[in-house]
Amino acid sequence: VITTLIILIPLLGAILMLLLPDEERLLRYAALGISAVPLVLALYVYFAFRDDLGVAALSQDVTWIRSLNIGYRVGLGGLGFGMFFLSTFLTVIAVLASRDVQRNLKQYFAAIFVAEVGMLGVFAAQDLILFYVFFEITLIPMYLLVGVWGDENRRPAAIKFFIYTFFGSTVMLAGFLAFGILADTYAMNDLGGGGGLSRTAQIAVAAPILFGLLVKVPAVPLHSWLLDVYVSSPTSTNVLLSGVLPKLGTYGLIAVAVPLLPQGVEPFLPYVAAFGVINIIYGAFVAFLQPDLKALVAYSSIGTLGFILLGAASGNAVGLNGAVFQQVAHGLYSALLFILVGVIAARTGTRRISELGGLGARMPWAGGLLALGALAAMGLPGLAVFISEFMSIMGVYATFPVQGVLAALGIILSAMYLLYMLARVIFGPIERPAYEEIGDAGPAEMASVVPLAVLLVVLGVFPALLMSIQRPAVDAVITVIGGS
Amino acid sequence: VTGQAFIALLPELISTGFLILVLMVGVYSDSNAGVAASLATIGTLAVFGSAAVLLATGFSGSYFGGGFVVDGFALYFKLIVAGSAFFAVLAAARWSGQTGDAPEYLTLILSVLLGSTLLVSMRDLFGIFLAIELATIPSYAMVAFDRSRRESAEGGMKYLITGVIASSVLLYGIVLIYGVSGSAMLQDVADTFSGTLTPVAVLGLVLMISGFAFKLSAAPFHFWTPDAYQGAPTSAAAFLSVGPKAATFAILLRILLEGMPDAAPTWTAVMAFLAIITMFVGNLFALRQRNVRRMLAYSSVAHSGYILAAFAAIQGGGVVFAVQAVLIYTAAYAVMNMGAFLVIDLVGEETKSYNGLVRRNPGVAASMALFMAALVGIPPLSGFFGKLWIIIAGAQSGSILVYIVVGALVVNTVISVPYYFGIIRNMILEEPTTETARAKGSGALRICVYVLAVLTTLFGLLIIPLSALVGASGLA
Repeated sequence: VITTLIILIPLLGAILMLLLPDEERLLRYAALGISAVPLVLALYVYFAFRDDLGVAALSQDVTWIRSLNIGYRVGLGGLGFGMFFLSTFLTVIAVLASRDVQRNLKQYFAAIFVAEVGMLGVFAAQDLILFYVFFEITLIPMYLLVGVWGDENRRPAAIKFFIYTFFGSTVMLAGFLAFGILADTYAMNDLGGGGGLSRTAQIAVAAPILFGLLVKVPAVPLHSWLLDVYVSSPTSTNVLLSGVLPKLGTYGLIAVAVPLLPQGVEPFLPYVAAFGVINIIYGAFVAFLQPDLKALVAYSSIGTLGFILLGAASGNAVGLNGAVFQQVAHGLYSALLFILVGVIAARTGTRRISELGGLGARMPWAGGLLALGALAAMGLPGLAVFISEFMSIMGVYATFPVQGVLAALGIILSAMYLLYMLARVIFGPIERPAYEEIGDAGPAEMASVVPLAVLLVVLGVFPALLMSIQRPAVDAVITVIGGS
Repeated sequence: VTGQAFIALLPELISTGFLILVLMVGVYSDSNAGVAASLATIGTLAVFGSAAVLLATGFSGSYFGGGFVVDGFALYFKLIVAGSAFFAVLAAARWSGQTGDAPEYLTLILSVLLGSTLLVSMRDLFGIFLAIELATIPSYAMVAFDRSRRESAEGGMKYLITGVIASSVLLYGIVLIYGVSGSAMLQDVADTFSGTLTPVAVLGLVLMISGFAFKLSAAPFHFWTPDAYQGAPTSAAAFLSVGPKAATFAILLRILLEGMPDAAPTWTAVMAFLAIITMFVGNLFALRQRNVRRMLAYSSVAHSGYILAAFAAIQGGGVVFAVQAVLIYTAAYAVMNMGAFLVIDLVGEETKSYNGLVRRNPGVAASMALFMAALVGIPPLSGFFGKLWIIIAGAQSGSILVYIVVGALVVNTVISVPYYFGIIRNMILEEPTTETARAKGSGALRICVYVLAVLTTLFGLLIIPLSALVGASGLA
């Protein structure tokens, strides 16, 4: 019941936002308060039930459409809880980071909360159709967030985003339906190991599902919707867009495709791993060439998503643990970078890297945190991303050595462009006289980035905080797929 | 006529009674718009209520020598028709009052209602033909009723001419089938349509389906649809595109399932081709429209294609789900399309008048956004469930051709995104201009829109259980 409660609170929050009077301070505080409730409840779940989350605890099962055996089935498992928590956390951060949004605040927050409903629902769904329904619920609010509050290029970006991902998820739905019909149920815990399907049937079902999930991630070359959307969005939308939305795809891969269709995805796994490598290397190269700081961060974000694909494809406990962990770590660092890009752009009035320089002297805090985020992105030990990238590469090396070696090379490439970016933006002489005047990040901005940085460090030093929850669930997956 | 038959005919008797009352109001009173509108509202509600009571008590039986049947299936469609007639009357009340001919217009709505409720209960091919004509002839007049606009007369004329041709084709098909089987009763026809079909029987079947294709605006017989719906008064377009259409789908389903079950391989193949052509034609033409009415007209062609896809899936393991799909889809379509047409009445028919509507009129804009998203098929709105059932039925049919149809349905769903979302974009992303409509229309109309928006949103909770129930007890 508490799971359902957490999922529904943002919906009530969205309605409440629309009813409030149009006063800016009130709206911002109300949104902050509403977004804090799911976070607090998720923390409560973590501390009260951390040892028994297992595969799916705190679950609820209500039959919805009897003739099809579709049910409202939700529960929190070790695979999903990390992202479930991160969604509540990043919603709070997004509300804090929404300074750049001035128009139609209440509608903006309402849209964010509706999106949160969908995100939380996906990570808690234990029924394929319900998973799809929540998956799509995120679509319209995200379309609006980009389309209404983005920059001048927002309209084509928003519709492109919508059509691409809607097509992907419709194909995925076709796969889900075929799966459910063949197995005669949509309940995920009855479908483990293929739900009794033959290997051929599993492959036929897995292909459309994988396609839909990879579009959502997005895996290069299915990524062409992404850049315009990331660059056009307001900062706080970026937080969700890069922090949570790609994980709807990767989580589907880890929690739906791999454990439920082990034999079906098996022939595709080398390619999924290859997609991961392509993401890492392509992302690094293209990021290197970006003149725009935000576009650089966007490609960096695509790149490090590749490690999740690698880990998910590895088929062993090390790799899968790495992938599940990387989902959370990636969300933390990419949200951090996007917010800081927003802060810098607001101060200097530009995002062009060539026009920036020497900002560290004027903005020691923002500059220092940008450096921290960049170091996290390149996998510096001691920060959360290092652990998961390392585990993903280890895991995939055991299964697909070529992909593993290439991915390790990708880390070097990412270090190159990130250090180069830091050198041009933070260090060096102050580029323009006008930059002498600018101040550091203000208290509100610090409030939105410091928690992210703290969690990056804490999870980097004490990975067991998250690993201990996800391990039993990962072990269960390994048992199902018969790996090591 | 026994007491039982009297109860079975209750919805039809009630609509006949109110039809006469409303007509009398027109004859005997001058300032009569309000009286006629309230009578018509009560009448449609009473029809809805009587059908609902019959459905709830599980009433069923067949009367008049088996030519008239009342079962869950028929009652379910009577609910859809009466419900959409209720909203059409409310939408028409103020407009028809301004024309000065309110009783006449409302009488037309009630007679279409009468014809459609009769239609879904018919089990005799000639009875079916008569009921279709009873529902169609008043609808020609409804389309042409707006004398202030030339398009209305033009649309009515086109509708009349193609409609008459369609009726004669349909009648010709029925006569051939009658000639082959020696009886017009569906259960007797079923004996003839088994084994190898004679050429005359096949010709009759094809002609009959072509006649229905005209009525259902299935491509390539859809040419009247855009002109008729664009010209028609909004309430007429809204009602005709959902109520009588649902009844026509229902009776086609009854004819095919009860009258020619053994010929299923033949007619499912015909339906598959019709469905594919209709979906593509509807969506591709809708993409190019700048007029919202015309866009919704092509959209209604496309949705006919989706429902025909369910007909194509009536084979193999898909039969039960395909019948349920027709039940669910027609109800879902009635709710969302009725809502979209009523919004046109409030806002206007040019896409430009929707620019920035969300700032002028957030409630109506939000409802319209819901209708558009539902027409695309975004979960958890009504249209999603219709498509879900069709895909499930198709996947279980075990036929390659049907798999292709389902694939075409998925592709068409994506093709349809730009034009439906074009409206959402205009309403929400564009700035208001001088052309943006101010809120107009009556409060009742606006309440109708909100009610339909709620129904569209909660469809999965409210209507799915009902139609699943009916599907289980009905034909299949």
